[in-house]
Amino acid sequence: MLLAGRVVLVTGGSRGLGGAMVKAFAREGARVAFNYSSSDADALATVSAVEAKGGVARAYKCSVIDRTGLRAMVRLVEDEVGPIDTLVNNAGVGQVLPLALMEEEDWDRMMDIHVKGAFLTTQAVLRGMIKRKRGTILNVSSLAGVRMVKAPVHYCTAKAALRGFTEALAKEIGKYGIVVNAIAPGLLDEGVADNIPAANKADYEANCALGRTGTCAEVAELAALLLSARNTYMNGATILADGGI
Amino acid sequence: MDCCEPASTRRPDRPHTFLHHAPSSCVTCGDPIEGRVVLRAGAVATLVHCPKCGATEHATHASADAYLQDFLARAEIPAGHTGDHPWKTTTSTCPTCLALIEAKVVINDNRVYFTKQCITCGPSRALVSEDAAYYVRAYAFARSGTEPFKFSGKVEHGCPTDCGTCNDHEQHTCLPIIEVTDHCNLECPICIVDNQYSWHMAPDKFGEIIDQLIAAEGQCESIAISGGEPTSHPDLLALIDHANRPEVGRVLVITNGLRLGKDRKLAEALKQRGTYVGLQLDGFDAATHTVVRGRDLTEEKTAALAMLREFQIPTQLIFVAVKGVNDHQIGQAIDLLFKEDFVISVNFQPVAHTGHGGGVFQHDPLDRMTIPGVINAIDAQSGGRVRKADFYPLPCSHPQCVSLTYLLRMPDGDYLPFPRFVDYGKHTDLLKSSATLPATPEVHDAMLDVIHDAFARSDEIERGDDVLAALRDTLREMFPDRKLTQQEQIRIGERRAKSIFMHAYMDRHDFDLERLRKCCHHYPQADGRVMPACGFNMFHRGAAKGPETKLPAWAVAAAEDGRKHLRVVT
Repeated sequence: MLLAGRVVLVTGGSRGLGGAMVKAFAREGARVAFNYSSSDADALATVSAVEAKGGVARAYKCSVIDRTGLRAMVRLVEDEVGPIDTLVNNAGVGQVLPLALMEEEDWDRMMDIHVKGAFLTTQAVLRGMIKRKRGTILNVSSLAGVRMVKAPVHYCTAKAALRGFTEALAKEIGKYGIVVNAIAPGLLDEGVADNIPAANKADYEANCALGRTGTCAEVAELAALLLSARNTYMNGATILADGGI
Repeated sequence: MDCCEPASTRRPDRPHTFLHHAPSSCVTCGDPIEGRVVLRAGAVATLVHCPKCGATEHATHASADAYLQDFLARAEIPAGHTGDHPWKTTTSTCPTCLALIEAKVVINDNRVYFTKQCITCGPSRALVSEDAAYYVRAYAFARSGTEPFKFSGKVEHGCPTDCGTCNDHEQHTCLPIIEVTDHCNLECPICIVDNQYSWHMAPDKFGEIIDQLIAAEGQCESIAISGGEPTSHPDLLALIDHANRPEVGRVLVITNGLRLGKDRKLAEALKQRGTYVGLQLDGFDAATHTVVRGRDLTEEKTAALAMLREFQIPTQLIFVAVKGVNDHQIGQAIDLLFKEDFVISVNFQPVAHTGHGGGVFQHDPLDRMTIPGVINAIDAQSGGRVRKADFYPLPCSHPQCVSLTYLLRMPDGDYLPFPRFVDYGKHTDLLKSSATLPATPEVHDAMLDVIHDAFARSDEIERGDDVLAALRDTLREMFPDRKLTQQEQIRIGERRAKSIFMHAYMDRHDFDLERLRKCCHHYPQADGRVMPACGFNMFHRGAAKGPETKLPAWAVAAAEDGRKHLRVVT
C-alpha cells in the first residue's frame, strides 16, 4: 500500500475531489483526517465509506479560514489520529461570475478559502513537521491557475496563487525534509465543475486529447502516488492532470 | 531577502579551525616546537612554524569529530582520582621573569589551573577557570576565524614575536581599540595601561590608522577610541569625525565618564555624531570605587549616567570585576541593562593583573575572578532573569576569552536570553564571528533556522508566542522596503537585542599563547601594526608587573631585530 502508516489531513474532504482523496488514501493504508465546513451528512458518508472498507477516517467540522479553530483541530487530530505527516490543501469553492459582476466579497471569499486557507492550515500543521523533520504537502491548484482557460478570474487567480505558494514554501522548508508539490486538475466530473456552463464543458472536451472530463477518482490516485514514498525528489512542482489540453 | 553585506566586502575564512596548541616538533630538523592543532576538511593536522626551517605540517588524525571528542574526554577525571588531573599543555609566562614557558593545564576540584616550572624562577601555579566543565566544553565551540584582506606582517620567528598581526594569526580584527592619548584624569589601581602623560595622537595620524584598518578589514563593525582617557584628547571630536565613515558601523568612546558627566556640549556632540560610549562602571558605592578606581566616584558616575540617559547615547557598561571587592554588585549592573533603554550591553571584565596599576594590584593568583565566576554571580544576583545556562563561549576570539548571551526584546519591553529559545548547539553560526549579530548570509540563514525552530517548539519554549512575535517585529524592522545602511542595521539590532558579555584579559599568571593566537581585540598602531590586546599589554607596554617592568629576554631580542620596536609608539 502506498501510504501505509501515514497520517494525512485533507482539507475540504467531505465530497468531490476531497472525498475521493480521503477514500483513496485510506485504501492505501493511511489514517485520514479531514475537515469540512458545511454538510455533516456528506462528511459522515465519506467516513462511513472508508470504514466500510476497513479504513480509518475522522471528520472535523472547521473552516479553513478560522485560525484558532484550525490550531485546535490540528491538536485534536494529532491526539486522536496521530502526528500529521501529510497535508493536502484541497478546500476550495467555485463561482461562475464574470469580473464585471464580481463583488469585493466574492473576490475575498475566493481568495480566502483557497489561498488564506492553505496558508493557515499549512502553518498549523507545519509546526509538527519541522519538529519531526519530515512531511509531505500537496496543494490542489488547477489547470485554470496554470493555463489560459475559460474560468472565472478570481478562481484562476486563487489557483495560480497556490502554485506560487507551493514553490516558495518548497524552497523555504525543504531543508527540514518537507516536500511540497501541487497538483493541477483539469475539468472534473464533480466538485467545483458541478455548475459550469455546458458550453464550457463541451469546449473543454473538444480540446482535451482524451476527449472527456476527468474523474475525481483519477486525480485522487495520482495524488496518492505523489504523496507516497515513490516520490522523494520531485519538489516545488505543479503536476497537470488534465487529460492533455 | 538579500543580505546587506556585498560579497566584495567579505573577508575570506581561515582554511582551518584552530583548536589548541600541543607539543610538536619540526618535521625537517626535529627541533621541539609547539604546534597548532587544526581541524581541516574533516581531519586533523598539526601546523608547525620552525624559525630555522619554516612552515611544516603533518596529519594528526583522520577524523576531526573523533579527535575533538577524544580531546574533550581526556579532561574527564577518572573515578577515585585525587589531586591534579593533567589535561593538556600550552605556552604561558613565568609570572616572575615573563619567560615563555610550558604550562600544564590541570583540573582539580572542577577548577582549571596552569602549573609552570621556570628554569630561572622556579614553580608557579595559577587559577585560570573556576569551572572546569565550562572551560573544557568551550573548546567544542572553536570555529574558524576570518582573515583580513591585508596582514600587517608575515610570520618569521613565530608567535608572539612577529606580532602585529602576521599571516599566522587566526582571526581578523573584530574590535580595533585605538589608544589616542596617554593622558588620564584618574590613576586607577587596576589600570592595565601605562600612561606617561606625554602625547596625544594627531588627527591626521588617527586618520591614517583608520585608512589602514579599512584597507585591511573592508568594513569595521566597531572602532573603539581609548587611552588614557580619550576625553582628555583636545581634538577628540575631530578623531570621531575621521572614524565616522560608511565602512564603520559604530564609533565607541571608552571613558571613565568624569568629563562627560559635567560637559553637556560634549554629550551633545557625541549624540550628534551617533557616537557610542563605553562607560567604565565597576560598582555603585564609594568603597568599590575607591578600591578599583582610587577614589569615590559615585557622584561622577551618577552624573555620567544621567547625561547618557538624557541624550539617549547608546552605552556599553564596562565592569571590571574584582573578587571580594565588587562581585556582589554585578546584579545591579544587570538591573541597569534591563531598565535603561540607552544601556545596550554590559561587558564584565575579570580584573587582569597587568599594567601600571593592575600589575601591582593586590591579588592571589589562585583565588581570583574568572569568567565562570562572573556568570555565577549574574545567575545568583539577577533574580532568574539571566541564568548560568544562558551563556556560551564566543568562538570569534579564542573560546576561553569571551562568553556572552544576547537578550531579545519582548513585546512587553522585557528581555529574554536567546538560549531560552535558541539551541546554540545547532545554531553555531550565530556565535561564529562577532559579539553582535551582523547581517551576514550565515547569520541570516541561522536566524531563519532559529525562527523555524522556535515556531516548531513554541508550545515548549518559555514565552513561545511572545518570542515569535518579537522575532516577527524584528524581521519587519530589519528588512523594510528599502536598503538600510550598515549603521541603521546595527541600530535596529541593538534595539531588538541587548547583550551581556565577559571578556577575560590575560596577565602574567594566566597568559595563554593559544588564546593570543586567536585574539580579535587589537590595538592598531601608527606604524601599521595591529597588536593583539593581551600580547601588547603583556610584552609591549613594559608594565606587565607594574611600572618599569623589564622586558623578557625574548622580547628584547625581538626588539633588537631592527624592524620591531616593542614599546608603545611615541
